[in-house]
Formats: sequence, C-alpha cells, structure tokens
Amino acid sequence: MSKDDKNVILIVDDIEINRVILAETFRENYDILEAENGEEALKIIDSDERVVAVLLDLLMPVMSGIDVLREMNKSGKINNIPVFIVTAANDDPMLMDAYNLGATDIISKPIMPDFIKCRINNVIELYRHRYDLESLLEEKVDKLNLINQSMIETLANIIEFRDGESGEHVKRISSLSKKLLIKLCKMYPEYYLPKAEIDKISSASILHDVGKIAIPDSILNKPGRLTKEEFEIMKSHSVKGCEILSHIPNLLDEDTYKYSYDICRHHHERWDGKGYPDGLAGDEISIWAQAVSIVDVYDALISPRVYKAPFPHDVAVKMIYNGECGTFNPKILEAFNEAIGKESES
Amino acid sequence: MDLINELEALGVNTQEALRRFSGNSALYVKMLGKLTAAANDLEVMPCIEKEDYETAVTNAHTLKGVTGNLSLTPLYNAYTDITNLLREQKYGDAKSVLEKILPVQSDILECIEKSKS
Repeated sequence: MSKDDKNVILIVDDIEINRVILAETFRENYDILEAENGEEALKIIDSDERVVAVLLDLLMPVMSGIDVLREMNKSGKINNIPVFIVTAANDDPMLMDAYNLGATDIISKPIMPDFIKCRINNVIELYRHRYDLESLLEEKVDKLNLINQSMIETLANIIEFRDGESGEHVKRISSLSKKLLIKLCKMYPEYYLPKAEIDKISSASILHDVGKIAIPDSILNKPGRLTKEEFEIMKSHSVKGCEILSHIPNLLDEDTYKYSYDICRHHHERWDGKGYPDGLAGDEISIWAQAVSIVDVYDALISPRVYKAPFPHDVAVKMIYNGECGTFNPKILEAFNEAIGKESES
Repeated sequence: MDLINELEALGVNTQEALRRFSGNSALYVKMLGKLTAAANDLEVMPCIEKEDYETAVTNAHTLKGVTGNLSLTPLYNAYTDITNLLREQKYGDAKSVLEKILPVQSDILECIEKSKS
C-alpha cells in the first residue's frame, strides 16, 4: 500500500439510504467500499488489505452481522480490524452477543455523523498505534534473542579457549549436531524431533564443555597421557558443568536449559554403558546427548590438540565407524556416516 | 428548496437531515426519492392484517431506520412505537398507531413525488 492510498472503510447494510449516509460521512478521508449483506462483506474483508474499519448492520438477508462477526473470529481478522455495529435494534441479548464476538462499539441509528466521525477515527488511530507497537516489540524480541545467543556463544568460547580450542569448535559442534539430528530423524522415525526442538538442542550443545573451566591447566593442557587420578579430575567436567549451569538458569529458556544440562552431563556416556558419569547404556542416553557425543569425538579428531596433530576427515570418519573411538548407537553411526561422513572435507 | 420547506411544514426535521448529509441537499432529496419504493416494499398494514407478524416487525424496524436517517420525525416516532408494540404482541395498539400515521406518510410521499416532476 503506497503512502497515497487512502485507507478503506467498509459499509455493510442492506438498505441503500443507510449506506449512503455513512459513506457521505467518511468520504472525505477514506475510500469507501459497500456490501449489501454479510457474505459480500466477508469477500471484501478477506481480499482487501486496505480495510481499516467495518461499519456493520446486524439485520440483513443472506448473512447477518452476527454471522460476519463469527467468521471474522474464525479467521482472526477481528483482532486487526475494528468493527462498529450500526443498528436501530435495541435487542440487548443480540447486542451483547456482538460485543462478546469482538465488536468494538455499538452505534445507534439514526446516526449523528459528526459524532461517529470522531468515535471511529479515534479507534482506527488506536488500532494503528497498537499494530505499530506490536511490530516494534517483535523487532526488539528478535534483537534480544540475538544478544542472548551471542552471550551463550561468548561464554562457551571463553571456556574452550583455555584448552586451545578456537571459537570455531563451538560453532562446529552446534551445526554438526543439527545436521546429524536432522538426518537421524529422516532415517529413523522413532527418533523424530520437530525442527524447533532440533534448533534448541543445537543451541544447547554450545555449552557442553562449560565444566572445563573447573579443570586445572596442568591437566587440561597436559601434552602426555593423563594418570588415573588426573583422568578422574578431567571426567568431573561433566558434573561440574551441570553445577555451573544450575547457577545461570536465566541465560537460557526453560527447554534449552534442560537440553543443555542433559548434554553437559551425559555427552561422555557410552552406548555400552562404560561411559561417565552415570554409566548409562543404550537409549537410556538421550538422543541429543548421543548426537553431541559423536560429533564432539569427530571434531576432536580433526582438530589439532596439545597431544596430537589433526586427522584428515576421511580418517576420522573411518576411525569412528570402526569403533576405535568408543562405542556408539549403530543407528547414530549410520546417520553420522550419511550426514557428515559422506560430505567432502570443507 | 420548496420541497425542503414543505417537508418542514409537515414536521420533518430538515435541519438535522441536512447535517446528516453534510449539507448536501441534492443528495438528501435524491434519497428522499427512494422513500416511495421503500414504503411500498415494506408495507406493514397488509402484514398485520394477514397476521404475518414476523414480517410486520422486520418491515417496521427497517422503516424506522430509514425514516430516522431521513429525519422524517413523525414517521420515525410512529414506526419506533409500532416496532415495540408488535414485539410486545400488542397488535391492536400497533395497528392504531399505524392507522394514525399512514395519512401523514401519504402527505410526505405525495410531496416528494410532486417535486420529482
């Protein structure tokens, strides 16, 4: 709609004289559309985006004003377009019905044009203002979500930085988990997750190693093999991570927090039950923890470490598939192979 | 305009009507021209006589709206009463009011029709 397009008022009444009088009242500032009954009115409401108000008679042939209100409720249009009942009827129950169906106001016939000009203009202005506010709010919420997401990534990056990881590691875990889960859902419907949930899991996976902040440098960055005691301390990063998350629940929305907590705690469990901290086995381990687990292993293999050089993509995939890096759910392995293994190195 | 003055004499609130039509007397007169057809289509007396009270109420209600919008005050008041009486099932009383107003309505219609020629 260009700036020069006038807004439209729709006048609905089966009696021509009534329509004419209303049209005369508003013709100066609005374009006028007319309908003789409810059915015609709805056709216009559903097709013309410029309608900013409806002046609606109640008693009409073919389709009454009440029925128009019902349809506008079904389509949701009642929330965006103010409807003014213009009627000579004084049937209180029917007027109450109109109000209950979302009519903005009831104007009695015969009308006083100067008064209704003000009443209707005021409401149109209010609706426009509310619409503008809603748009602004949406914008602000989007911005807020973006900032929140940045904070989570920043936190993860700072923590991962200590053991020589680049900021890219966190991003890779997030995107690889997403890729893997999407493929898994397609291949094995029993693991189905809606897109919105996969997005939350992808976001949650960013904080899987947050517990490493509690691990001393000497262990985190030891170039050689860890002793038994050192390994026990290292393992504690899953549980410590959960502790940290429990102190910052407001950083994440409720669902993302639950995923985050679960992934943090269980991303080192193993399919054969020999993982840590809880020794869960098989599908006792949530599918999202399983997904993050395998992509974490993959990403560790293809990245340089204090204790090793990076493996090429094909080698890493083979090692995982052959069970050289822990046991995994066979279905997850297949999905991993399809989603990530078969992609050429990027 | 003669018509406007004549109607004023018959009790029509022409000032209010012209305000309603934003001063557009030509449009007001044009709309008055449609009254004859409306009055003929929406006759109330035959409905009462046939005991078709549902149509009688609908017609009276519509005429109330139309005469109100045209500021034909005596007719508006009468049809308001008639509509209410019919709704209260006081058919006899409604008929009396109608009988009293029909001559006035006739005069007004005649006035309008005359000005058309």
